Amino acid sequence: MRGGHSPFKPRPRRSWRAPGELLNFTLYFLCAVLLVLSRIGHGAVGETRDGFVELTAPLLETASRPVIMARHAAARVRSYIASFDEIDRLKAENEKLKQWEWRAKLAERNVAHLRSLLNAVDEPALHFATGSVIADARGPFLRSALINLGRDQGVRVGYAVINGDGLVGRTVDAGDSVARILLLSDLNSRIPVVVGHAGVRALASGDNSAELKLEFLPDGAPVKPGDEVFTSGSDGVLPRGLAVGVVTGSPGALRVRPHADLRALDAVSVLFFDTPTLTRTDPPVFTPDRALSASSGDAEIPATGPSASVEPRPADTRIKQAGASRATSAEGVVQAQQ
Amino acid sequence: MNRILPALSVLVAVLATAIPWGLPADATFIPPMVVVMMIFCWRALPGTVFPLYLAFLLGLLTDLMSGGPLGFWALMALIAADIGGRARSLNDSQDRNRLWLVWAGVAAAVGALSWLLGSLYLVHWLDVWPIAFGTLVSILIFPVILRGLVLLKGGWPKPKFHRGWT
Repeated sequence: MRGGHSPFKPRPRRSWRAPGELLNFTLYFLCAVLLVLSRIGHGAVGETRDGFVELTAPLLETASRPVIMARHAAARVRSYIASFDEIDRLKAENEKLKQWEWRAKLAERNVAHLRSLLNAVDEPALHFATGSVIADARGPFLRSALINLGRDQGVRVGYAVINGDGLVGRTVDAGDSVARILLLSDLNSRIPVVVGHAGVRALASGDNSAELKLEFLPDGAPVKPGDEVFTSGSDGVLPRGLAVGVVTGSPGALRVRPHADLRALDAVSVLFFDTPTLTRTDPPVFTPDRALSASSGDAEIPATGPSASVEPRPADTRIKQAGASRATSAEGVVQAQQ
Repeated sequence: MNRILPALSVLVAVLATAIPWGLPADATFIPPMVVVMMIFCWRALPGTVFPLYLAFLLGLLTDLMSGGPLGFWALMALIAADIGGRARSLNDSQDRNRLWLVWAGVAAAVGALSWLLGSLYLVHWLDVWPIAFGTLVSILIFPVILRGLVLLKGGWPKPKFHRGWT
């Protein structure tokens, strides 16, 4: 058969119990078992994956660095080529922004005045840590990315992740030094949003494509292409008011184009946001000495579970503050939430 | 060297699947397909050692890197390795074209199975286009990858009937 018409070698007739055939069958069977275990979300699969990711994170970070640098260089070359057009565009935009600045300052004064009249409580401050994407884990199943921030930096599962343009996704796994972000475009991503000036509530769902589906819009909702989309915060997981994207498409088939370029992520920030509701439902944590004092008749009630903004963090953590400017200390944040 | 080189080259390709290249959403299927293609090529090239269990392990590594379900790319790698191993009789340029044809069939089968398995796994019909695009690109770039691997290996082995002619 060698050099014959068929590209396949003739296979000797033998029992499938031959060692090679048995190994073959075992490997196929193992694949099926692993797929089933992954589908049911077996703990061992998650632990193995987490351990592996922790182990390979430094290698991935090193391997990604030249690629990210090359991407930056390419972007710089592109912007250099288009610099004259860009200058004209920026000049026009600057003129427009000057007008907006004046309007924004006026609106800021009005808002401050109205808030003082209403005795409104300040929004809790948002702390964040900034890291970079070290691995791009995308395929037919998911759209995710690995970042070089983990539990050591205060990152927990469920935190919102943003970049300079807007919301990117949320953390779904957190190891000691790395975390996995589920991107907005992932099939399993569901973000409650408000759309446009009318503040119409809807759900922005990923479907593994570049744009998000806009679901559960009320009938006759005044939503049109070009409307801005923000997080509503009604899920109690993501903070309210994070920029998500802009409405595209036609009525009846509206979609959301994310502001953030999800295919070329680099530096991202994780927002340490724990909703007051969630922290209050946490069971009280009794340290042994406090448990003793409680049993001895001391009526001291331990504080409710800590919010993310007052969690102890390592001294070298790159954490800055964003959001409300008045709450500059961690204690201030707690007061605002209570 | 014929044992280490194939495994090492595929390992590099697996690592490359996790690097943030900034590929568009429609091109995400291409890097893992290149891994599967390389496994197929190494199995099909005469004079190389690339056992099935190695294909399984490298596929599993791709699964771990991608964050997807374990066993998915391991299964695809196994299928490609299994078929590649049965096409070892291909030596000359005519057979290389035939090998390309075989890969086209394997890639189509892997693409179709990926779509079906992915849809079943997620209980949601996946978009066909990224998978079809990835499959098509993998078929188009096959000669380049094959050529690269042959160069890496040190060229094609001479057919046996040439021995003694010169």
